[in-house]
Amino acid sequence: MALRSLNLPGVGTKYEFETDKGDTVAIFFTKTGTIQMYTLQKGCHTPSAAEMTPVEARRLGNILTGAIIEADQESVEIAFSALADLRITIHSYIIPRAIAGKTIEDLRIRAKTGTTVIAISRNDKNIINPPPSFVFETGDAVLVIGESDQLRLFEREIMVD
Amino acid sequence: MEGIIIALFVCLVLALVAKYLTIPAIPFYIIAGVVLGHAGLGIVASDQISSFFSDMGLIFLLFFVGLGLKVDKISENQSEVLTSGMIDLNVNMIIGFVAAYLLGFSLVEALIVAAAFYSSSTAMTVTSLIENRKLMMRESETIIWLMVFEDLVLIIVLAILSAGNENLLLFAGEILFGLALIYALAHYGKEFLISILDRDDELPIIFTFVAVVATAAFALELGVPDTLMVIALGAAFATTDPDAFEQHARPFKDVFMVIFFVFFGITINLSGNISVGVIAIICLLAIASKLISGVLTGIALYGSAKSGLEIWTNTIGRGEFSIALAVLYGSPPVAATIAVMVIVTSLVGSFVAKYYGSLSRGFGRRSRHHGPPHRVHAVH
Repeated sequence: MALRSLNLPGVGTKYEFETDKGDTVAIFFTKTGTIQMYTLQKGCHTPSAAEMTPVEARRLGNILTGAIIEADQESVEIAFSALADLRITIHSYIIPRAIAGKTIEDLRIRAKTGTTVIAISRNDKNIINPPPSFVFETGDAVLVIGESDQLRLFEREIMVD
Repeated sequence: MEGIIIALFVCLVLALVAKYLTIPAIPFYIIAGVVLGHAGLGIVASDQISSFFSDMGLIFLLFFVGLGLKVDKISENQSEVLTSGMIDLNVNMIIGFVAAYLLGFSLVEALIVAAAFYSSSTAMTVTSLIENRKLMMRESETIIWLMVFEDLVLIIVLAILSAGNENLLLFAGEILFGLALIYALAHYGKEFLISILDRDDELPIIFTFVAVVATAAFALELGVPDTLMVIALGAAFATTDPDAFEQHARPFKDVFMVIFFVFFGITINLSGNISVGVIAIICLLAIASKLISGVLTGIALYGSAKSGLEIWTNTIGRGEFSIALAVLYGSPPVAATIAVMVIVTSLVGSFVAKYYGSLSRGFGRRSRHHGPPHRVHAVH
């Protein structure tokens, strides 16, 4: 798999590589700010193309690196090869009305599930490492870290409280 | 002043429609100008203010041409660029020149018509490649470098035309002096330029505007063409951070270019001694000659006339450079001819580029049993 990158004057940057099986993938970062991805199956003459915004392209990148994405909740699983098969997942959730007004301490998230809330996004502002006294509001997007079993427990025990 | 506002407002509405239909807006600006101006309703006339803004549009367009010329990144396949560039240049310049001369233009007029006839619109070509999702085609790279080649030829044409009847040695000396000055400033002031561009207040934008406008003014003071000096300024700045300069100059270019196009249309005089037949022949030839040069290039580089058709479909539209030539050096009949040629070729070009794909697939389906893959041959 040889990656070729190329600067096209007036257009933008092109990245192209051929897979082991002979298919070709080309990505263009155009000066208009959009990203175009072309795939050309071996033996075919017409490529198929998709045009993406930067956000969509990042999302595609997440999928390709192995994260799972559901509707508007996404998760990234990271495996550290140095730490004997430790697979840790970061998942995002939207706080439902049922638990609005409660604090992290009230919900006993760590004790009940083993997971930790590591960040909250509210009205486009991010709060990193919230204190136990942090009060949730409906619509907060929270990032929770833990093993996948613990996260399932979080979904069952906390999100429906 | 009200004239500019009326014209800009009409252009804004037209731009919305053109973007919605994904066709180039340039022909609509010119048509709007023709309708509003001298040849049409006579609502808007050009004045000092509008011609100042139009000049700004041209200067910023040429500054962008300069920014695109990064000397150290000429393509890896120089012979390919040269082959396609020379075919394109010879075929179109010769057909354009001979046709214009035979149709009754003077020698100098014929040269200007030929240069305008030759120069495809870089903006329309790039937009067409991106919007029709053609970037991956092998022909796309050829087309993109062809545009760079055309820009270089355009600079030479500008230099020749602006020399006019002056003493050539003196003229060349003045230009070299100006160039040396600009390059020295860009080279020794590189750190300063980059420190200005890195700021996140309004300074980078003010600096870019002043640099471009001051260079043009300085060139006029020195007696050298401002067009060439502004291109040189762009090329010199491209050695620092071309993307930043593009970003800061783009708003000026976008607005002033619209005024440039619409007022070009406003000043057009269609009632002059120019026959509809002559203009029609030039338009048809403009489409046909790019077909010939495209097919020849396709055969020369890829051994395939079909590749040539791909090149043709994306390079039919003439645009900003043709109009720049008309504004700078065109007599009224030349300007009218170029105006109509730009309108016709850009509209035909955008439709051909959009529907060529489905058209050629249609051909392919009908003749599938004749075997793949070079299904469509030149439609002469």
